[in-house]
Amino acid sequence: MEYRSQKIAYWYFAAALPLFVLQIFLGLYLAYSYTWTVPQSVVDVFPFATARAMHTNLLVLWMLLGFMGGTYYIVPEETKSEIYSEKLAWFQLIALLVTGVVALVGFLFGWTQGRPLLEIPRPLDLVVVVGALIFLFNVAMTMIKANRWTAIQGTLLGGLTFLALLYLFGIPFYKNEVIDWFYWWWVIHLWVEGAWELVTAAIFAFVLMKLTGVDRQVVEKWLYVEIGLFLFTGIAGTGHHYYWIGAPRYWLWIGGIFSALEPLPILLMVIDTMNHVKERKTQIVNRLTWTYAVGCAVFHMIGAGVWGFLHTLPQINYYTHGSQVTAGHGHLAFFGAYALLNLMTFYYAMPKIKGIEVYDDRRGKFGFWTMCVAMMLIGLFFSVAGVLQSYIERVLGMGFMTAQSYMRLWMGGVFFCGFAFLAGLLTTVTDLLTLRPAKL
Amino acid sequence: MTKKIAFWIFLLGTLSSAVVFLAATWDTHQQVAVLSNADKLDERVVAGKRAFEKYNCNDCHTILGFGAYYAPDLTRVVQRIGEEGVRYRIKSPEKAFAGSWRKMQNVHASDAEIADMVAFFKWVGEVNNNDWPPQDSKIRLSRGEQAMVASVGVSPGAAVFQTKGCMNCHSLHGTGGTFGPALDTVGQRKTTKEIERYIRDPKSVNPKAMMPPQKELTNRELEEAAKFLSSLK
Repeated sequence: MEYRSQKIAYWYFAAALPLFVLQIFLGLYLAYSYTWTVPQSVVDVFPFATARAMHTNLLVLWMLLGFMGGTYYIVPEETKSEIYSEKLAWFQLIALLVTGVVALVGFLFGWTQGRPLLEIPRPLDLVVVVGALIFLFNVAMTMIKANRWTAIQGTLLGGLTFLALLYLFGIPFYKNEVIDWFYWWWVIHLWVEGAWELVTAAIFAFVLMKLTGVDRQVVEKWLYVEIGLFLFTGIAGTGHHYYWIGAPRYWLWIGGIFSALEPLPILLMVIDTMNHVKERKTQIVNRLTWTYAVGCAVFHMIGAGVWGFLHTLPQINYYTHGSQVTAGHGHLAFFGAYALLNLMTFYYAMPKIKGIEVYDDRRGKFGFWTMCVAMMLIGLFFSVAGVLQSYIERVLGMGFMTAQSYMRLWMGGVFFCGFAFLAGLLTTVTDLLTLRPAKL
Repeated sequence: MTKKIAFWIFLLGTLSSAVVFLAATWDTHQQVAVLSNADKLDERVVAGKRAFEKYNCNDCHTILGFGAYYAPDLTRVVQRIGEEGVRYRIKSPEKAFAGSWRKMQNVHASDAEIADMVAFFKWVGEVNNNDWPPQDSKIRLSRGEQAMVASVGVSPGAAVFQTKGCMNCHSLHGTGGTFGPALDTVGQRKTTKEIERYIRDPKSVNPKAMMPPQKELTNRELEEAAKFLSSLK
C-alpha cells in the first residue's frame, strides 16, 4: 500500500465477504426447494421467489462493493495521488450497505419492483443512483486532479460510467412486456457482457501488471484489444436475448453472429495472461494470488466463453431458452468472470493494506480449490438438468413437472455441492479476514 | 502492433457494434407495435402486468422464457390451460397443487387482479415471438397428436380429429356424438378448402350453422383435419 486512502478498499472488501456467504445460504434453500417438497405453509411465508430475489441481489451487491473497493485501491496507485475525498467514499459505502439491507428486508415483506434481478423498489433505485453518482464523482475528481491518464484508468472510469448509465434503463415501468424485456437486457446483458467486463478487464490488467512486472505499454496494448473485442461482440451480442420476445426476426442473425464471437476476447485474455506469466520480470511471491489470476482467466473462459457459446445459436437456444441450461451458464460465468476476479483482487490488496508482504496461503489454497471444484460440478449438474428439461419438455412436449421429476437427482447434486462450496467459501472468508504472515 | 493501433481497434470495434445495435433498436421500435399487437394492449393488460409484478410472480415463473425456472413458463399459459385454469391456480394454489411435490404461494390476489393477470397472459400469448416455446408451438402438431401419428399409425388429420374434441358432436362409423351430423362421407360433399373454411367459421358458409368456430386449432392442425375429412368418401 502506497497511499493512505487506499485503506478504504479494505472496508469495501470486508463488507462484501459476509454478503457473499449469505448469498450461498439462500442458494442452498433454492436448491433444496428444487429437490424436495417445501410445505405450503412455508411457501406462503417465504416463497422461492423471495429467496431468489435475495440470492441474486446479494450477488450484485457484494460484487459491486468488490469493484468499488478495487477501484479505490487501484486509482491512487495509478494516479499517484490520494482519493479526492475519503469522507465521500465512506459515506457512499454506508449508503450502499444501508440501501442493500433495507432492500433485502423489504423483499421479505413483499416490497419489490417484481422484475427479476431488478427487484429493488423504485424509491430505493434513486438512492442507488445518488450513491453511484457520488462514487463516479469521487473517482473522476481524483483522476482529473492528478491528470496522469493511463489506459487502465480510462477503461475503469469508462466502464463505471457505462455501468451507472445502463442502470437507468431498468427503472421505468414499461407497459409493453416486449419493450420491458428489451430494455431489461440493456441493464443485465450490457452490464455483464459490457460494463462489468470493462471494469474487471481494467482491474485484471492492473493486478497482472503488478504481479508480473510486465511493461505497462504491453499490458495496456492488450487491454485495448480485449475491451475492443468485448464491446464489439458484446454490444450487438445483446441480440441473443431478443430471439423469442417478439422483436423482429433479424435479431436471430445479429445475436447469433455477434455472440458466436463472444468467446474470442476471453480466449485472448487467457493467452495474454499465460504469456505475461511466462514472461514475468518479478519473482512469484504470493503464489495463491497468481493461482487466482490464472484460475480466473481459465474459469472465465469455461463459464462465459464455452457455456455461453453452447446455447447462444438460435437453433439450439430455441430448445434451451428459459431452462436450467441458463442457470448452469449463469453460475459458471459469474463465478469464473466476477467472483474469482473479486477474490483475486482481495488476495492482492488485503495483505498489502495490512502490511503483510508474504502471507500464509495454506487455508486460502484449500478454499480456492474447494470452491472451484464445487462450482464446476454445480455448473455441470445444472446443465445436465437443463438438457433433460429441454428434451423432455421442449422436444417431447411432456409436462413441466414430468421434466422436473427427472431433474430432481441433479438438483439434489447441486444442493450437496452447495455445501462443499460453502465450506470452501467460509475458509476463504476466514482466511482473508485473518491474514497472517507466512512462517519462512 | 503498436498501442496506437490497439486503441483504434478498440474504438472502431466498439463504435461499429454500437451502430448496428442502435440502428436495430430504432427499427425494433418501429415494428414492435405490429409484432406485439399493441392495439390490443389495453388498460386491463397493463393492470395485469402491474399485478404480475406486485406479487413477484416472475421470480418463480418465466414469461417469454425469462425469469426463474422454478415453475412453468407463462408465455402461452392461457392457450395451454385456459382462462379458468389460470384463475383457479392463482386463487387456490393449495388445492390446485395439493397432489404436487412442488407448491405455489397463495399471494391472495383479488378477483379483479386475477382477471387482469389473465388479460395480461392472454395478450402475451398472442405476441409474435418466432413460435417459442416449442411445446406450445402454433405451427406444429401437439405432442399428443404426434404420439397418435407415430404409435397408432393414423394420419395427422385423424389425430387432430380425435384429440381436439370433434367427436363430442360428430361421429365416424357410429362412434362419437350425435349433436352434429355424422361425417363418414363428408368428402363426397365438400372439398378440402371448403372444409377448412367451414371449421374456421361455420356461419360464413351456412348462416344457420350451430357449430362454434374452431379458433383453438393451429393452421397446421386445421389443414390436416380438413385433408383427413375430405378423404372420407
